[in-house]
Amino acid sequence: MTFSTHRRKLFSAALAATLSLSLAAPALAKDTVKVGFIGPLSGGVSNMGLGGRNSAALAVALRNQDPNAKYEYELEALDDECKPNVGVQVATKLATNRKVVGAVTHYCSAVAMGTVDIYHKFNLPMIVWAAVLPDITYGNDYTEIHRVNGTMINQNETAADFMTGQGYKTWAIIHDTTDYGKGHNKYFSQFLTEKGGEILGTFGVTSDQQDFTAELTKIKELNPDVVYFGGLTPIAVRIRQQMDKLGIEAQFQGVSGIKSDAYFAGLSGDLAEGTVTFLEGAPAAKLPGGEFFLAEYEKANFGEDYEAYGPFSFAAMSLLLDAIEEVGPDRKAVNAYLADVKEHDSITGPITFDEHGQNTVALITKYVAQDGKWVVWEDSEYADGTRKLTGK
Amino acid sequence: MKDNTTKTGWLGLPPLVVGLGAVVAVVIFGWQFLLAESELEVLGLVALAAVAGWAGGKTGLTGSLNEAMRGHGRTMNGAIMIGLLAVIGLLSEEHFPLLMLTTMLLYLTVGLGLNVQFGLTGMVNFAGAAFFGIGAYTSAVLTTHSAVPPLLILIGGGLMAAAIGFLLIVPVVRTAGHYSAVVTIAFGVLFKTFLEVNDVLGGPQGLMVDSMKLFGWDFNDGPQLFGIEMSFYVNYALLGGGLAVLAFMLTQRLERSWLGLALDSVRLDETASACFGVNVVRAKVLAFTFGNILVGVAGSLYGMMISFIAPNSFTFADSLLMVSIVLLGGLGSLWGTAVAAVIVVLLPEKLQILQEYRFLLFSGLVIVMLLYRPQGLLPRGVRQFFPSWRPQR
Repeated sequence: MTFSTHRRKLFSAALAATLSLSLAAPALAKDTVKVGFIGPLSGGVSNMGLGGRNSAALAVALRNQDPNAKYEYELEALDDECKPNVGVQVATKLATNRKVVGAVTHYCSAVAMGTVDIYHKFNLPMIVWAAVLPDITYGNDYTEIHRVNGTMINQNETAADFMTGQGYKTWAIIHDTTDYGKGHNKYFSQFLTEKGGEILGTFGVTSDQQDFTAELTKIKELNPDVVYFGGLTPIAVRIRQQMDKLGIEAQFQGVSGIKSDAYFAGLSGDLAEGTVTFLEGAPAAKLPGGEFFLAEYEKANFGEDYEAYGPFSFAAMSLLLDAIEEVGPDRKAVNAYLADVKEHDSITGPITFDEHGQNTVALITKYVAQDGKWVVWEDSEYADGTRKLTGK
Repeated sequence: MKDNTTKTGWLGLPPLVVGLGAVVAVVIFGWQFLLAESELEVLGLVALAAVAGWAGGKTGLTGSLNEAMRGHGRTMNGAIMIGLLAVIGLLSEEHFPLLMLTTMLLYLTVGLGLNVQFGLTGMVNFAGAAFFGIGAYTSAVLTTHSAVPPLLILIGGGLMAAAIGFLLIVPVVRTAGHYSAVVTIAFGVLFKTFLEVNDVLGGPQGLMVDSMKLFGWDFNDGPQLFGIEMSFYVNYALLGGGLAVLAFMLTQRLERSWLGLALDSVRLDETASACFGVNVVRAKVLAFTFGNILVGVAGSLYGMMISFIAPNSFTFADSLLMVSIVLLGGLGSLWGTAVAAVIVVLLPEKLQILQEYRFLLFSGLVIVMLLYRPQGLLPRGVRQFFPSWRPQR
């Protein structure tokens, strides 16, 4: 996709604003450099993918506006549908395109696990913008693989710490059987047991299951203080609804995968109320460069929200562009540059990669659903005691 | 997708010349389409193909082509195979177009298998992706945990699909029409769920598949020719092409044989065929197994090429896509299947430029095509009992 040409208009009026940004760039004869983005642009989690795509496009558009930029950047955004085989296909497309210097890729962990080998094979520097499975960076020694967002390890440590701190004693765990869900189950169970919480039962569900009556009936018998769910928004919505139908009076706790506005769209307001969840990083407004990001995103007038991982996508793309500005449009040089990124400024806070390319700055924020919005715990009416979590 | 450059002259030209011209035109078109990047090129080429197809029908080119295929079958088939090799040769350094081309060839093989089941015998198989997945998972397990030569693994993938298909034989043969379709739907869903809860086969996360190796030659190394390193996908494209050609020949022979005649009669009227002594059960078992073997072999090679498989890649939606290849091409029409495989595999990929709107446009195109060509793009002609016989006018 070419953001610097006007053909886009035909297809999406929503992106017209980006267009005006890029047209406003001075018409100097700069070399054009291509960068890639991959995320789920269609299917059940497309809201996340579109938010990430828009944010990456914004980073590119802003850079093109900058008169000091050495190159003119062009973004090629591709759809992986959250399916590994499609992911492999589009990753091959990007990696084998000699004009593409680097890429910001993947929301779905299963897809990222399938594609890392391809990036390695073709030596394409990539930065994960949202997939949280630890193995993506820690499961290999590829120098091409980096990640700006934290992993589920940090997230679940904070979650276990916080929830036991609230005085909850017993948990029932539901997780989807993807590695995403299983990983959450593993790390949360581990940290929770360390902090003295008790797990009454663990239930694996498939990622497209519709009916949870069997699991929830069992959970009702167990009568836990908290129902923990490790998985993505669509199932979280169904589970929360069916919990209500079966009259389960427990606190509902999610993971980063449900922190999206779609959670509220799927539930009537008072069902969502009081759900807690955790996310790497901080809300856009609280990030070091958050106000800038919000203002620019607002100005660009995208049709979709930037969602939970938009700022990370923006930060990853900006880092990639910084690398290209610094060492030129060469894959090997960019890899070498990314190998020792330390305290690199970004809107999500300083980025430091460890030897596996993982960002080590683990900032985790706690959220609670309040009046149809995700509110940072510390700012919520729950923290100051006006409202109370279930069972407190 | 037919030659329209010689619009004025082809009526006077002998059919063979027209036929060979059309092959050359399709080769050039395919080469350019696989390379096309920008929206303008892609949409332009799609429009060109639509116009050429329409004009070809209007001006009698299609008839002329049919004549060439009938009268000079061997020469034409040879030319088409050389054309396929030419496309692979022209793209030998382009990884991605070759990956798409190979995927297309494998889907063609799948389409041919389903065509024998659906188009000839009238058994709709909505578990195509499941049998495809069985092949791919067979490769995954055998390449990583055994020393079986990969070429045998391909056959193993087909046999495995056939063997698991046998489990379905009883319910599928006992039920008819919509009911047997429902059996296959249930199997497709069952297959995916089974993989998701089965940690031995990688669970929802999937499995790595090792590459294809032939006599010590690793397919994941790019072949060197005259000092130029070609894409390693050339290997897969050649093997996939060979597989598709073999599948095409087998299916065509089957269709033309008395076996194919029996399958046809079972589709048209089971009771009547049984009255005339056609063994309906045997015909159905034959068609179901033959189709599954082709689908399984294609899946097996697909797994090796993609090198990573997960249950998500073999969903019910993928099965529907496979059935749509058969429907779009025209029931029982082998060349139609080939054209439809190109459309179903390549078009969504080429429409990536439309981002989130691509499936909207793709579905729209398919609906429009079926509105104007309800029999499929290249409907199957009436069976010819004497291959060189031509209706006298």
